[in-house]
Amino acid sequence: MTAIALTTVLRRRSDVRYRLIEGEAVVLRQSAAEVLVLNGVGAAVLDLADGERPVAEWIEALAREYDADAETLARDVLAFAGELREAGLLEEIVAEDPP
Amino acid sequence: MSLSRLVATAWRQNLLFSVLVELTYRCNLDCFFCYNDLGLRGEPMSREQYFRLFADLREMEVMNLTLSGGEPLAHPDFLALGARARELGFVVRIKSNGHALRGELARRVRDEVDPFLIEVSLHGATAATHDRQTRVPGSFDRLLANLAEMRELGLRVKVNSTLTAWNETEIEGMFAITDSLGLPLQVDPEVTPRDDGDREPLQVAPSREGALRLFRLQFERGRAAEALAAPDPPGSIPRQPEVARGGDDGTMPAPLHKHCGAGSSGIAVDPYGNVYPCVQWRRPVGNLHRQGIGEIWRSSKGLEEVRDLTVRVKETIDAQGEGGYLLNFCPGTAAVHTGSPFEIYGAAAQRRELLEQVIGEEAGAKRRLLPVID
Repeated sequence: MTAIALTTVLRRRSDVRYRLIEGEAVVLRQSAAEVLVLNGVGAAVLDLADGERPVAEWIEALAREYDADAETLARDVLAFAGELREAGLLEEIVAEDPP
Repeated sequence: MSLSRLVATAWRQNLLFSVLVELTYRCNLDCFFCYNDLGLRGEPMSREQYFRLFADLREMEVMNLTLSGGEPLAHPDFLALGARARELGFVVRIKSNGHALRGELARRVRDEVDPFLIEVSLHGATAATHDRQTRVPGSFDRLLANLAEMRELGLRVKVNSTLTAWNETEIEGMFAITDSLGLPLQVDPEVTPRDDGDREPLQVAPSREGALRLFRLQFERGRAAEALAAPDPPGSIPRQPEVARGGDDGTMPAPLHKHCGAGSSGIAVDPYGNVYPCVQWRRPVGNLHRQGIGEIWRSSKGLEEVRDLTVRVKETIDAQGEGGYLLNFCPGTAAVHTGSPFEIYGAAAQRRELLEQVIGEEAGAKRRLLPVID
C-alpha cells in the first residue's frame, strides 16, 4: 500500500455509511457489519473524502476551521487518512479509476 | 466515545437516529396474525413527499431508515425510494416477507438500493404450518428458494419469526433451516393485538410450554455458541437468550433515564403520513401532510408527552426489581393490551417468569457440572 501524500485523492468506500452526532461520526461499514465512532477530526476527514479534492485541500479546509499549526495539522490529517484507509473506510483513486 | 454512549446521547437529547417507514399496507401474503390496521384510511404519501421526507431526515442526520409495510416491495415506487435512500447515505433496512425477492427484482434491490439488511419472515419449518399462517399456498417453498437466491446474490439477510400456537413445536426445525442457509433467526415470543386493538391475532398466541421450550432452546444454542468461542469460567452467570425484540436499528443503548428511545431517537411513519413514536406505539404525534418532519420533531406536543412517558415507564420497570428487564416491556404493546403504557401485560409477566425459571435451571446445571474442590 502506497503512502498517502498531499496530492493523493481518496474517497469513501461505497459500503460506508456515516452520520455526524454531536461533532463525532458514527460509521457503518456495511460489508463487515462493523460500526466505528470517529472523533471530530476523523469525522471531518471522512466528510472531506469526496474523491475529488486531494488531501492538500482537506488540510486547507481544516486549517480554516481549526486554529492549529499547519505542519501539525498536515501530519495529523495524513496519519488519519492512512488509518481510515487501513480501516477500510477510504480508498485511493488512481488515474484510471472513474470518479 | 463508544456507540452505546452516542446512542444514549441521542436518547437524552432527542436526536432522531432511526426512522421506520411503512410504505404501504398492501401485501402479497395474508398472514393471520398481521398487526397492521388494514382498516386505516387516509391520503397515501406521494413519491415527492417521500423524497422530501428523506431529504429532511438526511438534514437531521438520521442514520437508519427502515422500509417496511405491509410488504414494502408492493409499493409501486419502492425501487425509486430505496435508491434515493441509498443516495442520501442512509443505512437502509428492508422488512419484507421475501415472497417477491427473487430474480430480477432481487438483483435490482441489491444493485439499486444496496440495503444493509433485509429482514424476512419465516412462520414454520414445514409448508403446512408456514402456508397456514400466510394463507398463501406455496409461500414456504418459494421463501426457501428465495432465501437461497438472496444469499447467492450476496444480500445480507436476517430471518424473523413470531412464536405462535401453530409453529411452537417446529422451532428446532426452523433453526435447522436457517442454520443450513447460514442465516440468523430471531424469534419473537409474543403475538400482539393489531394496531387498531383487534385481539384476533391472540387466538394463535403461543402456549406457556411453547414459550418455555423456545427459551430453553435459546439458552442451549447460546451455550453451544459459547463453547465454540471461549468457554465461560466456572460459576459464571449464563447469558441471556437472544429473544428480545431489540431496537429497529439493531442497537441497544446503555440504560438511561428513559425506558426506550420511542419518540426520542426513533419514530415510525404509516402510509398515510401519520407519525408515531415507534412502530409498536400507535399514538399519532403528527401528520406529514400537514407538517414537515422537522417541525413535528421540534414542536409536537404528542412527542413531548411520549418522551415524558418513557421516563415514567422506566421508573415503573425499575420498581419491578432486578428481573424487570426480563419483561422486555414495551409501553406501546402495553397500551394496546391494557390501555395504559405502564401496565404490565400478561405476555410480559409470563416471559419474566419463564426466563427466571430457565435461568435457574441453567445455574443449577452449571453448579452440577462444576468439579468439587476440597
